[in-house]
Amino acid sequence: MASEAVSLPAALRAPVLVEGPVTLGGLDDQVLQYPARKPPLAWYIAFAITASILTLGVSLIGYTFYMGIGVWGNNRPVFWAFDIINFVFWVGIGHAGTLISAILFLFRARWRNAIARFAEAMTIFAVMCAGLFPLIHVGRPWLAFWLFPYPNQRALWTNFRSPLLWDVFAVSTYFSVSLMFWYLGLVPDLASLRDRTTSKVRRFLYTVLSLGWRGSATHWQHYEKAYLLLAGLATGLVLSVHSVVSFDFAVSLVPGWHMTIFPPYFVTGAIFAGFAMVVIVLVVVRETMDLKNLITTYHLDVMNKVILAMACLMGYAYVMEGFTAWYSMDEYLHHIFIQYISGTYGWSGWLTISCNVLIPQLLWFRWFRQRYLGMIFVSIAVTVGMWFERFVIIVVSLHQDYLPSSWHIYKPTLVDFGILLGSFGLFFTLVLLFARVLPVIATTEVKTILPGAQPAHGGGHHD
Amino acid sequence: MTDRVFAVVGLFSSAQALMDAIPKVRARKLGTVEAYTPYPIHGIEDALGLRRSPLGGMVMVAGVLGAATALFFQWWMSAVDYPIVVGGKALFSWQAFVPIMFELTVLFATFTAGLGMLLLLNRLPFFSHPVLASKAIAGITRDKFALAIEADGGALDVDAASAALRAAGAADLEVLPVAVAQPPALNELSRSVMGIAISCLVAGYVMYWLIKLFPVLPPMVHMQEQPRLDVYKASELFKDGHGMQLPVAGTVARGYLPYLIESPEQAAALVNPLPRTSEVLQKGRTVWNNRCGVCHGALGNGVPTLTAAYGAKPANLQAQTFREYPDGKIYHVIMVGKNAMPSYAADLTDDERWAVVHYLRVLQRAQNAKDEDLK
Repeated sequence: MASEAVSLPAALRAPVLVEGPVTLGGLDDQVLQYPARKPPLAWYIAFAITASILTLGVSLIGYTFYMGIGVWGNNRPVFWAFDIINFVFWVGIGHAGTLISAILFLFRARWRNAIARFAEAMTIFAVMCAGLFPLIHVGRPWLAFWLFPYPNQRALWTNFRSPLLWDVFAVSTYFSVSLMFWYLGLVPDLASLRDRTTSKVRRFLYTVLSLGWRGSATHWQHYEKAYLLLAGLATGLVLSVHSVVSFDFAVSLVPGWHMTIFPPYFVTGAIFAGFAMVVIVLVVVRETMDLKNLITTYHLDVMNKVILAMACLMGYAYVMEGFTAWYSMDEYLHHIFIQYISGTYGWSGWLTISCNVLIPQLLWFRWFRQRYLGMIFVSIAVTVGMWFERFVIIVVSLHQDYLPSSWHIYKPTLVDFGILLGSFGLFFTLVLLFARVLPVIATTEVKTILPGAQPAHGGGHHD
Repeated sequence: MTDRVFAVVGLFSSAQALMDAIPKVRARKLGTVEAYTPYPIHGIEDALGLRRSPLGGMVMVAGVLGAATALFFQWWMSAVDYPIVVGGKALFSWQAFVPIMFELTVLFATFTAGLGMLLLLNRLPFFSHPVLASKAIAGITRDKFALAIEADGGALDVDAASAALRAAGAADLEVLPVAVAQPPALNELSRSVMGIAISCLVAGYVMYWLIKLFPVLPPMVHMQEQPRLDVYKASELFKDGHGMQLPVAGTVARGYLPYLIESPEQAAALVNPLPRTSEVLQKGRTVWNNRCGVCHGALGNGVPTLTAAYGAKPANLQAQTFREYPDGKIYHVIMVGKNAMPSYAADLTDDERWAVVHYLRVLQRAQNAKDEDLK
């Protein structure tokens, strides 16, 4: 039977990873032109806005350092509030990048190649935002190095049985590994930039940063091996980091925190929030940098399907959590779960469920998966919902603990909101700078999936 | 320029053309055949006969080393160097050490994979490789596939190599000389690395002294500045500038109610509030022996231990007058004194005064016992 006689349904046809004719050189011209070009006015306007927000955040953090963290709304028994919510929120957003660059690499999901660079960069920026919050929450951040076990005059060591210490190790390892992964992928692209730039200063910088990469087959062989190993290591890591973050809660005895479902529930939520953020930023980049032929509708569609799958898992996790609470026969746990949906903060529980479970169900419709308006709406809802999920877990569980005499209604101050806003300023400022000076698409990786890029193996399979 | 040749390089325009050419060129055995490509090409390592990358083994070793390091240090710190029981766990509770073991495994393995690949296996950074100075490099990092015949030890037969490459379909042949002088980039690089290192050292040194010398600058006060009231220090909180303030007029200290009775006659009306229990009498005896007995004598009969040095004659409390004194009048004497006796109000609490009144009655009764007391 001739192959053209069979008409496959759309779902079974090979996905369109690159639209239109793209050549190896053409790809470089398209993607690598940006670092050499003067950015458009819109970039300056966007940068002015994000940098102002960042400045606001930095000033308020300075104010906090000077006055002490009493300027925040935290008070007993709600000792953890915006700071830890924001920490968990940003670490979660970081997870999408590692998932895309590592787990999807191991699964040979080739659509990841076009978006991996951007997602990895977002991971690094998100972890930077996340790391900020525990640092400023310690009150005297210039002594934050006390968190690490080093020989000191106090002759004391850290407590290795504390999940908070595990967290220090997990987050700092995560940042180092993400940075290494990102830089490794950048080296060949920096070499491409080095060989096409005419500016002396840039050429010097790219020469140093690309370490003299020359693309020899021997180098590529070691490089691919290293990339594969890093992907394997990062896969384990991405699952562990948010599990360790969840131990901060699950290992304690606070009703609503002490639950075995927390690690998988947190990891799912992290991937969920991260993908939503990647979709938001990617849509803007795709549109403003004219990358529609490389980041195709197919990419956005697949990303949104991942979000949908994660939303269903979140729904399951919420129901399961509620069931566990009910089945525990524990009065305190019953009480706190009722607080989640009906107390002073009851609205936040309903907001979480609506944004994380109900609204993403719209992604069952192709219109929402493929149209900007639809996916941006859902992604913003998910981002808001995931922030409030952490609000519910942290603030609502803490504000009414075992001792009714210490119950307290938590109210954030303007400084709390300002620092949260400032972390968004930091994130988007870094994203804008990244889009300005480095290739937003891993050209080397996309080259490998262009049609005709690989020699025919006489009908053999690609591995 | 030297005559020594490093390699002859030819360019191909597709991966397929490169792969087709490799076996033809290798068959001529003119030197080491190496390819330079813009992206990794499947199967090229077999075509070129490259040895498998040893990175997997290196990473494995580093990972195991990471886990062992984490386990060893956590054991040594928690169970040997500063053994301290946390939450009733054993000193070596290895289960709690697993998360950090995992993190260090990944950390060690990642750095070995990334830096091991770049620094050890690929010998980077290396800025003076002849290929980097060639015209071909601009194509190699873009869309051209280069094949090079490199001199392995001896001299390279340039004409034969060029012919072999041309026969295999290569274009834009280029003869690359061995790099003699370091390109300026390296000098600039070493200068900038030195510059960065020196700046780090200077910054670290300045920071060290700043922290050492100015620990009292906010916010790094280390809680040395404590805005509290100290008793003997000045304070800006009060108008008179004193940290210690007098009590408000009319303040009564606890246990020191003011004594408003002026004459013994008024005092006669007072009633001893304490019951005559053995504890109260014991307390009274302690007070009598410590305070009263020195002058009035252990028995209250005015035969003291201090008479010669004292000069005055203390009252004999066994006398009829005093045996008939109401309790209130005795209390009044303790409060305000009498003749040479000073006030003992400041030395005794109210309970002690009344207890000693009870005890004096015991002494008087004991010295003037009646027959029926013996029954």
